[in-house]
Amino acid sequence: MSILTNIILCPLVAALLLCLVPRNYRLIMRIVGMVATFISMVMAIVMFWRYDSAPMGPSGSFKFEEMHKWVDALGISYHVGVDGLNVGLILMGAIVAFAAACACWEIKEREKEFYILLLVMTGGILAAFASLDIFCFYFAHELALVPTFIMIGVWGRGENKNYATFQITLYLSIGALVSLIGLIALYVQSGVQSFDIVTLTEQLKQHPLSARDQNFIFPLLLFGFGILVSLWPFHTWAPLGYGSAPTATAMLHAGVLKKFGLYGLIRIALPLLPQATHAWLNVIAWLALGNIFYCGLVAMRQKNFNWLIGYSSVAHMGFVFLGIASLNLIGITGAVLVMIAHGFLAALSFGLSGYLYNTTGTLEMDKLGGLLRRMPFVGTALIMAMFAGCGLPGFANFAGEITIFFGAWKSFPLVTGIAVWGALVIGAVYMLRAIRNMLHGPLPEKWQAVAESTWPLRKLPYLILLVSLLVFGFFPQLLTDKIKPSAQKIVTMATGASETVAQNDEPPVVKAKHK
Amino acid sequence: MHIPLEHYLIVSGILFSLGLLGVIMRRNLLVIYMCLELMLNAANLALVAMSRFNDNLNGQIMVFFIITVAAAEVSVGLALIVALYRKRQTAHVEDLTTMKN
Amino acid sequence: MFENLAWLILFLPLLSVAAITLFTRSKPRASAQISIFAVIAAFVLSLIVFVFFRGSETNSLPQASVPWLWVGDFKADIGLRLDALSLGMMLIVTGVGSLIHIYSWGYMKDDPGFARYFASLSLFTFSMLGIVMADNFLMMFIFWELVGISSYLLIGFWYEKASAADACKKAFLTNRIGDFGFLLGILMVWAVLGSLNFQDLEIRLVPHMKDYAPVATAAGLLIFCGAMGKSAQFPLHVWLPDAMEGPTPVSALIHAATMVAAGVYMLCRVFFLLNVPGSHALEVIAWIGGFTALLAALIAVQQNDIKRILAYSTLSQLGYMVMSVGMSGPTAAMYHLTTHAFFKALLFLGAGSVIYAMHHEQNIWRMGALKKKAPATYWTFMVGTLALSGVWPLSGFYSKDSILAQALETNHIALFVLGVFVALLTTFYMFRLVFVVFFGGARSEAADHAHESPDVMTWPLRILAVMSIIGGVMGIEGLYTKQFAPNAEGHAAGFGQQLLAPFSHSPLAAYLGLFAVIMGLGAAYALYSRSLFDPLPEKLGWLSRAMRNRFYFDELYERVIIPFTQEALAKFANAIDRWIISGFMVRGASGTTDLVGRALRLLQTGSLQTYAFLLVAGVALVLYLVLLR
Repeated sequence: MSILTNIILCPLVAALLLCLVPRNYRLIMRIVGMVATFISMVMAIVMFWRYDSAPMGPSGSFKFEEMHKWVDALGISYHVGVDGLNVGLILMGAIVAFAAACACWEIKEREKEFYILLLVMTGGILAAFASLDIFCFYFAHELALVPTFIMIGVWGRGENKNYATFQITLYLSIGALVSLIGLIALYVQSGVQSFDIVTLTEQLKQHPLSARDQNFIFPLLLFGFGILVSLWPFHTWAPLGYGSAPTATAMLHAGVLKKFGLYGLIRIALPLLPQATHAWLNVIAWLALGNIFYCGLVAMRQKNFNWLIGYSSVAHMGFVFLGIASLNLIGITGAVLVMIAHGFLAALSFGLSGYLYNTTGTLEMDKLGGLLRRMPFVGTALIMAMFAGCGLPGFANFAGEITIFFGAWKSFPLVTGIAVWGALVIGAVYMLRAIRNMLHGPLPEKWQAVAESTWPLRKLPYLILLVSLLVFGFFPQLLTDKIKPSAQKIVTMATGASETVAQNDEPPVVKAKHK
Repeated sequence: MHIPLEHYLIVSGILFSLGLLGVIMRRNLLVIYMCLELMLNAANLALVAMSRFNDNLNGQIMVFFIITVAAAEVSVGLALIVALYRKRQTAHVEDLTTMKN
Repeated sequence: MFENLAWLILFLPLLSVAAITLFTRSKPRASAQISIFAVIAAFVLSLIVFVFFRGSETNSLPQASVPWLWVGDFKADIGLRLDALSLGMMLIVTGVGSLIHIYSWGYMKDDPGFARYFASLSLFTFSMLGIVMADNFLMMFIFWELVGISSYLLIGFWYEKASAADACKKAFLTNRIGDFGFLLGILMVWAVLGSLNFQDLEIRLVPHMKDYAPVATAAGLLIFCGAMGKSAQFPLHVWLPDAMEGPTPVSALIHAATMVAAGVYMLCRVFFLLNVPGSHALEVIAWIGGFTALLAALIAVQQNDIKRILAYSTLSQLGYMVMSVGMSGPTAAMYHLTTHAFFKALLFLGAGSVIYAMHHEQNIWRMGALKKKAPATYWTFMVGTLALSGVWPLSGFYSKDSILAQALETNHIALFVLGVFVALLTTFYMFRLVFVVFFGGARSEAADHAHESPDVMTWPLRILAVMSIIGGVMGIEGLYTKQFAPNAEGHAAGFGQQLLAPFSHSPLAAYLGLFAVIMGLGAAYALYSRSLFDPLPEKLGWLSRAMRNRFYFDELYERVIIPFTQEALAKFANAIDRWIISGFMVRGASGTTDLVGRALRLLQTGSLQTYAFLLVAGVALVLYLVLLR
C-alpha cells in the first residue's frame, strides 16, 4: 500500500474505531483523535521529505501512486498519487488536521460524534487532494463537506447558528452540484468512459473538446468551484459560517477544505479546457479583485473578530484567483504557494480566535482590549498571525503573494496594482485595527482576571502552525522546487505552448537584447 | 361450459375497484386493511385467469408469492394497528394525522 | 572569506532575537547582554570588513548570494552587496546602534519588558542591516517591510498606552502606503529590465534604455514612494512625530540614525535608475525634499515637547538629504546622512538623558537651568546642537555645505535659498531648545530636583559627541565619492586643507551657511535667553498656531482624506455586502425557495386517504396518458 493510502486511511480507520468506544471514555476519544491525525501528519511529512527521491509512478507524472479498479463499467477507480501541486496541500492538510484535533478542548458534549465527524472530515479532505479520479475526488470532498454542516449545526455557537448552517449547507451544496454537472459533462464529452484524470488528460490532449463544449463546461466548473472557494460575489457564506462554526471545523474548512475548489480549477479546468480558460481569464482577474479589494474593504468594517478573519480569508482567496488568471509559471506557482500558506494561516487565526472566545466569551472587538498583557502567548501568536495575514516577509504568505504579483503584473498591471493596494494597505488596516482593539491599549476592568492556560499541550497546535508558516516563509524553495515542474505542465497544457519551454534556472546571465 | 377470459377480468376489475374505493373512502383502519386485501386478491384472480388462458404456470406461481407475502403483511399490519389502537384508543384515520407538520 | 563574515554580521542580530525569544525571555539581564553583544560583534566585524575593503582598492567586494525564491523569470535572491555605500551604512547602523543598545541598558533599567525590548532592538538591527546589505530589490523590499514591523513593535513598546498603540499603527500604515508605491516601482522595473539585482540592472539599463526611458519617470516616482514612507517625506511625514511615543533610545535609533535614513539610502542605491535622461523623477524628488525641509523646520519652531522638536528637526534634515539626491548629489546626501546619524542620535540620547533627569517630563517649558544639574548631558547636547546648526568646524557644517554647494552647482537657485533659510530656522529652533532647557531659571519642581544620568548613559553621549565633532574631517565624503564618481580625483589630502576645503571649494555656500547660523543664533538669543514663556505666539498670531498644530495635516488626513476615500469606500462595500449581496440576493433566493416550500406544504394534509387518493389519481393520469393517447 502506498504511503498516501495510509495517510488517508489512518483517520478513517480511527473514526471507525471510535464508533466502538463507549461515549463516556472522553479521554480515550481525544487521544484516538489526536494520535490518528498525528500519525497522518508524520506520514505526510515523511512523504513530503521523500518526494524528491521517490520514483515516478506508472502514469509517469505522479509519485506514490496507487490504483485499484472499482466500478469498471463506469471507469471509476481508486487512484491516488501526488505531484508538485498536491504534495504540499496534503502536507498542509495533515498538519492542520492535527492542529484542529488538538484544538477541540472546547467541545464538552457529544464528544464521540464530534471526534468521529472530525476524523471523517480529515480523511475526506486528504483523500480529495490525493485522488486522481474525478469521481473519488468529488466523493471524498462530499465526505468531508457533510460533517462540516453537521458540526456547525450541532456544536456551533452564536445566535445565528441555524441560519449560518442553513446558508453554508445550501451554498456549498449548490456549488458542489454545479461543479458536479460540469465534471459529468466533461466525462461524457471526453468519450473515454473514464473518470481517471491521467486518462482524461491524455485523451483531451490528443482530441481537445470542441470550443462549444469547453465554453459550456468551463463556467460550470469556474462558478461551481468558485462558490466552494467563496469567489466574489458568492462569498457571504464564509464569514457567516466561520463565525458560527466550532473552532476545529473552522480551522479545517477555512484552512484546507476550501482549497478544494482552487485545486480542482488548477488540476482539472485549466489543463483540460484550455480554450475556454483563455476566454475567461479577464473575468477571473476582475472577480479576484472583488475578493481582494472589495472583501478587504468589507473586512475593515467588521466589529466581530471572527467575521473579520472570515472576510480576510475570503480576500486572500483573491490572490489565488489572480495567480490562476495570470496563467503563467510564476502565477500558478504563486497560487499554489498561497493556497498552502493560507491554509496554515487560516487555521492559526481561527484556532486563536476560538481560544480567545473560550476564554473571554466574546469576540466583539470593542469589548476587548489590552489582552496581550494577560495572555502573552496567545496574544503574540495572534499578532504574528495578523502580520502573516498582511503579508509580512518571513511568513509563507508573503512568498506566495509576491510571486503572484510578479506573475500577474505583465498580463494585468491595473488589476495587480489594485491588488497590491489591497494586500499592503487594506490588509494592514484591518489587521492592525484588530490588534489595536483587542491586544493593545488599556486593559478593561472586566478582563483583569483573564489568564491563558499554562498547559503546553494547549499551545501545541498554534506552535506547529506558526512554525510551518515560518519554515515555508524562510525557505519557500522547499515548496516551489516541487511545485514548479507540475505548474509548468499545467501552464503548458493550458496555453498550448510547446513542452520545450526551458526552465531557465541558471544563475542570472547578463544578456544584451538584440533587436 | 367455457367462460371467456373477459369475465374473469371484469370480476377482478370490479373487486379491485371496490377495494380501492374502500381504501379511499372508509375511515376505519381495519376496514381499509381488508379492502387492501381485496385489491390484492383481485390482482390474484386476474393472474390466475391469465395463467390459465396462456397455458403456463408463471401466473400461478406469482399468486403463491403474493399470498405468502400478503400473509406476512397482514400479520405485521394487524400488529401495528393493534399497537396503534392501544396507544391512541382509536383506529380512525382522521385521528391519526400527527405526521402533518 | 569576507563575504562569510558579512553573512555573520547580518545574522548575528537575528540569532540574538531567536536566543532571547526562545531561551532568555524571563531573564532580562541575560537578554540585554546577548543583544548588546550581538550588535557590538556586528560592529567589530563590519569594521574588519571595512578595513579590508579600503585596503582592496576595488569598488565592491564580490557578491555572495543564495537563491531564495526562483520561479521562471522571477528570481529573488538573498545576496549581499558590499561596497562603500553599504559598508558605510553598516558601520553607522551597528556603530550608532551599539551605543544606543548600551544606553538603553541604563534608560530602560526598570521596565518590565526589558527582554522584549532588546529582542525588538535586535530584530530592528537585523532588518536594517538587511536593507543596507541587500544586493537586489526584492531582498531590500523584504527587509524594508521587516524594518516597518520592527519599528511597529518598538514604537508600540508601551502598547498599553493608547497613544503609543495608535502611534505604532499609524507609523506602520503610513509606511505601508509608501511600500505600495515601492513594490509597484519594483514590478515596473522588473517587467522592463528583467532583473531585480542592482548590479544586473545597472548593466542592463544601457542596452535597454529605449524600453526603460518611457517608464523612467513613473518607475522612479513609484520607487521614491517607498523612500517617502520610510524617510517621512511630505505627504507621508505624519507618522514620524507621533512615533516619539516609543522609548527615547528607540527614537534615537529609528528616527535619527537608521530607519528614516533607509529611504535616502535606497534612493542613493538605485540612483542610476532615477538619473536617466528624460526622467523628471529627480526634479520632483528635489522639490518634495525641499518642501519637507521647510515645512518641518517651520513646525519645529513652535513645538514644546523636547522629543517632538527633535522629530521635526529630523524630518527637516531628511528633507535636506532627499533634496540633495534630487539635485543629483547622492554623495552629499549620504555625507549628510552619516554626520546626521551622529549628531541626531546624540541629540535624541541627550534628550533622553534630560527626560530621565526630569523624571519623564518632556515639556521644555517645565525645564530650565539644567546646565548645572547635568553637565555631561549639557556639554554633549551643546555639541550636537552646534553640529546640527552647522557651525564650523563641526561635522554638520561640512555635510550641509556640500548639499548647498550641490544646489549651486546644479543651478537650483530656489532650492539653494530655501536650504539657507532652513539652516537659519534650524539654528533658531535648536538654540531655542537649548536656551530654554539648559539656561534660565528652573521652571518646575522637577527641574529643581533634576540629576545627572548614570555613566552607562553618558558615555555613549560622549562618544557620539566626539564623532559629531570630527565627522567632517574623517574622509567620509571621499568614501562616498569613490562610490558615485569613481573617476573623480581625490582632493584635499592634508588635514588643514580638508578643514578649510568648503571655503575654497564653494565660498558662497559656506559663507551664507555660516551667516544663517549667526542669524538664527542671534534671534534665538534675543528671544529666549531669559524668557519664562514663549514670546512668539503673541507676535506671530495665527501663524504660530498653525505651526504648533503642524499645519493641520493630521486633522486633514484624519477628518477629511481618510474618511472620504478609503473609509467611505469601505462603508459602501459593507453596505452592499450586507444589504444587496447577502440581504437581497442570498436572502431573496432562499426566501423564494422558502415560499415555494410553504405553498407545497398545503398539500400535505397528513391524512392517509388524501395521499392514497392522490396516488390513485396519479396512476390514473399516467395510465390515461400511456394507454389512451
